[in-house]
Amino acid sequence: MNGDIVDALMISANGMRAQGTRIRVISENVANAETTGLTPGADPYRRQTISFKNELNREMGVNLVSVNDIGEDDTAPFALEYKPDHPAADEEGYVKMPNVNAMLEMMDIREAQRSYEANLGMIEQSRAMIARTVDLLRS
Amino acid sequence: MAIQDIGLFQALGAKMDFLNQRQSLIAQNIANADTPGYRPKDLVDVDFSAMLEKKASPRSQGLQQVSVEKTSAGHLGASNNASAKERDQRDTYEVAPAGNAVVIEEQLMDAGRNSMDYNLMVNVYQKQIGLFRIALGTGR
Repeated sequence: MNGDIVDALMISANGMRAQGTRIRVISENVANAETTGLTPGADPYRRQTISFKNELNREMGVNLVSVNDIGEDDTAPFALEYKPDHPAADEEGYVKMPNVNAMLEMMDIREAQRSYEANLGMIEQSRAMIARTVDLLRS
Repeated sequence: MAIQDIGLFQALGAKMDFLNQRQSLIAQNIANADTPGYRPKDLVDVDFSAMLEKKASPRSQGLQQVSVEKTSAGHLGASNNASAKERDQRDTYEVAPAGNAVVIEEQLMDAGRNSMDYNLMVNVYQKQIGLFRIALGTGR
């Protein structure tokens, strides 16, 4: 019965997709690290967060990981920078900068990368197991 | 009599089924390495050696299926071809603040062992077929 191991491939592929979405969100954060508002005193880009959930896929009857929610980070405050000539500067000359922390994002992207690689490793291993089984026919 | 009905082959098939199932469970653990509140799962061990002993004894001619081990007298016998039971892994190396207890290194080690076991089973299977070939005299 090879059903289980094909399930394993699907589960790992879904894990990779979830991590891929995570990397997309992180790169959006990094790309928008300097995106300010356009009008005086407007809020700048807010850092996005992502979380996962393990959910039963009824079609296949196995639990697959999927993106639970892409939300916004309200906890980190916006930094203020003194730039009086900026279009988004308020009356006192301060501009709100996005609450993106480059170090945090780099750490997050590394973690996502490692998880992605681990899923990839699982796929390779499952494939090797299938190949071994098929080789039984050859002997 | 199909080849699957021969004692050793049946045991090997059962163990390979078990390892397949375990592989998919480990894949699930790794896929959920960043899911909040997820606890890694493993299969309840099946007592394969006891099963093989039963098969090896000359009196037990009736074919027996692999069944989940009974750890308490109150357990009912599992149905034939029942897949092994899942259980939460209790002792993991660490638990993340979000309640996720998956440690990728630990899971990869399990996966490596799983794959090695599987290779062993395939090799035993091949050797056994080789024995039959010799007995049949169709070369090796």
